[in-house]
Amino acid sequence: MKKIFFLFFLFISITYSQNPKEIVKKSVDILYGKKTFSVITMKIIKPTWSRTITMKAWSYEPDYSLIYITEPARDKGTVTLKRKNEVWNWLPNIQKTIKIPPSMMLASWMGSDFTNDDLVRQSSVVDDYEHKLISEEKFLDYDCYKIMLIPKPDAGIVWSKVILWISKKEYMQLKSEFYNEDGNLIRTMIGSKPKNFSGHLIPSYWEMIPNDKPGNKTSFEYNELDFNINITPEFFSIQNMSRVR
Amino acid sequence: MKYYISFAWRNIWRNKKRSILATSSIFFAVFLALIMRSLQFGQYDYMVNSTVSMYTGYLQLQTKGFWDNHSFDESFELTDTLYRKIKNNAGITTINPRIETAALISHATETRISPVIGIDPYSEDKMTGLKKRLSKGNYLTEESKGILIAEGLADRLNVDVGDSIVIFGQGYQGVIAAQVFQIEGIIKYPIPKMNNAFVYMTIKNAQELFNLSNRITSIPIMINNPSKLYELRNELSSKIDTNLVIMTWEEMSPEIVQAIAVDNASGFIMLLILYIVIGFGVFGTIVMMTLERTREFGLLIAFGMERDKIYLVTTIESIMISFFGALLGLIITFPILLYFYYHPIPVKGELADIYLSYGMEPIIPFSIDPSIFISQMLIVFIIGLLTSIYPISFIRKIKPVSALQGRGGMK
Repeated sequence: MKKIFFLFFLFISITYSQNPKEIVKKSVDILYGKKTFSVITMKIIKPTWSRTITMKAWSYEPDYSLIYITEPARDKGTVTLKRKNEVWNWLPNIQKTIKIPPSMMLASWMGSDFTNDDLVRQSSVVDDYEHKLISEEKFLDYDCYKIMLIPKPDAGIVWSKVILWISKKEYMQLKSEFYNEDGNLIRTMIGSKPKNFSGHLIPSYWEMIPNDKPGNKTSFEYNELDFNINITPEFFSIQNMSRVR
Repeated sequence: MKYYISFAWRNIWRNKKRSILATSSIFFAVFLALIMRSLQFGQYDYMVNSTVSMYTGYLQLQTKGFWDNHSFDESFELTDTLYRKIKNNAGITTINPRIETAALISHATETRISPVIGIDPYSEDKMTGLKKRLSKGNYLTEESKGILIAEGLADRLNVDVGDSIVIFGQGYQGVIAAQVFQIEGIIKYPIPKMNNAFVYMTIKNAQELFNLSNRITSIPIMINNPSKLYELRNELSSKIDTNLVIMTWEEMSPEIVQAIAVDNASGFIMLLILYIVIGFGVFGTIVMMTLERTREFGLLIAFGMERDKIYLVTTIESIMISFFGALLGLIITFPILLYFYYHPIPVKGELADIYLSYGMEPIIPFSIDPSIFISQMLIVFIIGLLTSIYPISFIRKIKPVSALQGRGGMK
């Protein structure tokens, strides 16, 4: 009888103070659907210039995604395809396909603060990290869990740690900080303006701030986001890059 | 004073053999030091010249920050006024505007990353001799629509003259730059690192491809007198806008500066050994000459000549001998160095291949930089003067009676 009571209390205590891994997993399940279609406006801000790109994106998590540029007119029709750990580009003005070589994976994608590597990174915030709840904090009026993620040794992750702010009620990832091997903050991602997209409440506006480059920022906003689309991996073929509209 | 000078002059001519011996030891010192230094500095100048003319130039005009970031954010407009400001400086031989970036070069399934350089075909050839490196096809003209590609890169992409390649990169302010180009010529570089990368096109085509309108990224500048490097840099810096900078080759290629510093240090040790050997040679001659004149000095003192006056006379003699030796060294060495300056010694055999593999002519060049002559003559002259301390200390201690009796003058 005593044993049963003990197990009962243990059960209660587990559900009460949630496992940080569970929190992260829940937030990820809300943020990423299996098959999605989105329309995104990306803004690249540099100290001396800025530029806006609009695009359509299809994705089939975790292996495939395809991005079709709709604006500006000069770059319209350019396609970036991610297939597993490969990145391909379709260049409509010369009707050619180019595979990005490994040496270029850390180069900027479309002039933004994102790299080609960011597009293909396979790592999962759930499985490739050890999670630790460090505190509970308010961020932008939301009560948040502050969770520290330390990469597992064999995960091949460039960061030494990642800190996530996840809202307690909605499980929204509102802020993430990425630290390099020397423990310096390299980039900050901030999500805001939550919207309900086919049942998923997620931030619709994201800012990526590279901390080592003052005056630089890349933001993107979901104008549309559909979690219920019908798509197969065949859609993400090299041949299809020249056909999508 | 005039009296002492003529006294010293007569002393020198009194024993011609002795004077010629002293003069010639000074002469050989100057001769050897000059040749050694001229050879060394000639090598350095040559090394610097061939390295800077291969790519960076002696000076380079850029926007601040370009050297570190190499992005089009640091490009600038080449206006006629700016061009004239640089051009109107004596000592500048070539102004070579460029667009420097890196992009993906792709053919069929092969893709490589390579520096892509927009050039003015005429000034680029004048500075780097690019046309001479053409191994196949044609060199670019102002109107060319095609590209030149380095041999190693062409091999890796499996392309030849007449084939088309895709250049894909990022243009000004993040636009996509992608275009198909035909290969007009293949460039062969002796250095593998350079041979495996480099694509050249005209500035006009590069500006179009990277959406740069009339912007460029850098202007390498060649000058005719490397010793005026900093003078010219300061002059140019004062004329250009504050967002632009002039970099020197020393800032752009610190590895050459280091290589020279190391070699110069070892050269300096050699020189020091030479000075010591020469110094003792001259010193030996002076000691012999002084001892030989023991009786003469004793006699002068016995006659009542003040020792100070004798010091003066022997010092004037030393100055004269050192001066003639150094002058003779200059007069004889200068034409020899001048000849080798214009007719450098050719290198043969395996060593020549090493030179060629670095894209340098296999020659041993000499320098006729005036600073070499001045410094070496001065140093040897000072060595000559230092040795004159010996006769002074000898005369100071000389005892006239002992000197006149032929007992060495000291007891």
